[in-house]
Amino acid sequence: MHIPDGYLSPETYIAGYAVAVPLLAYSVRKLKKELNENSLPLVATLTALSFLVMMINVPIPGGTSGHAIGTAVISILFNPWIAFLSLSIVLLIQALVFGDGGITAWAIASLGMGFLAAFTASFIYKLFYRLNKNIALFLAGWFSIVVASLFVAVVLGIQPMIAHDEKGNPLFFPFDLKITIPAIVGSHMLYFGVIEGIYTLTVFKFLEKINSQVFSDVSKEA
Amino acid sequence: MFLKRHKKLFFILGIFFFLIPVGLLSEYPAWGEWDVDFFKESLGFIPEGIKKSTNSINLIPDYSINGLNDVISYYISAIVGVALIFLFFWGLKVVLKNER
Repeated sequence: MHIPDGYLSPETYIAGYAVAVPLLAYSVRKLKKELNENSLPLVATLTALSFLVMMINVPIPGGTSGHAIGTAVISILFNPWIAFLSLSIVLLIQALVFGDGGITAWAIASLGMGFLAAFTASFIYKLFYRLNKNIALFLAGWFSIVVASLFVAVVLGIQPMIAHDEKGNPLFFPFDLKITIPAIVGSHMLYFGVIEGIYTLTVFKFLEKINSQVFSDVSKEA
Repeated sequence: MFLKRHKKLFFILGIFFFLIPVGLLSEYPAWGEWDVDFFKESLGFIPEGIKKSTNSINLIPDYSINGLNDVISYYISAIVGVALIFLFFWGLKVVLKNER
């Protein structure tokens, strides 16, 4: 989910910015080394694809909906730093232009759906790809979004502990971990993880098929 | 060769672009992305921080443009978003070229 403004205490979002901004600065340096005439259009396209796939909300039982995020495939094709930067750009545009997710919450969102999802995908893919590449791609997608959802669930769920008034009423997001973990992580394990896994597998295979030239250039560098 | 590659890349973008109205079929928001009224109903009050920060100024709030059909608004939003992403990477390319 995209955390709106007002859900996170200043302690939380300031800490988020303090961690995310230096990491992003590092990812830009990393990107400089890896981007060339071949890889840049592909990174831009996959970033745009990530933006589009987030618009495709899928309803699930229980009266909510959600979508894939597209981090894993960028992370596997290039590297986690580039996926982190790509997702951060998508989330920034969503927050600034469309009000989808708050600007205060941007750093936290980008650490979850960008940084953690990207490094999880890369780790899981490397762990399983000798066993079976297709399974590795699916699992990389599944784990990436589930880990991201766990991070968001924890950050939201600790808000009532961090900030409440003298009467004990929460000042920001009001529900604790007992509610956020099952609601957010559960739905990602059952549904959105599967969607992300299929997306990762399909887009990877599709690129491999239509664009073996670009693909081989890229995977050699990775 | 170069152009051909790009054409193929845009193909995949096109597929997802035409699929996005599917995202409008769901009436329900993501878990947690509720209206302020939701907190009033479920808690009996709206947390202070959430009450204070309901006004943000966006170009196309919630991917919908006043007076326009939902699907058309959604498509325009997608074009704007994708254009901004390509603009960012194009800008980055220019910056990187100048640095070398």
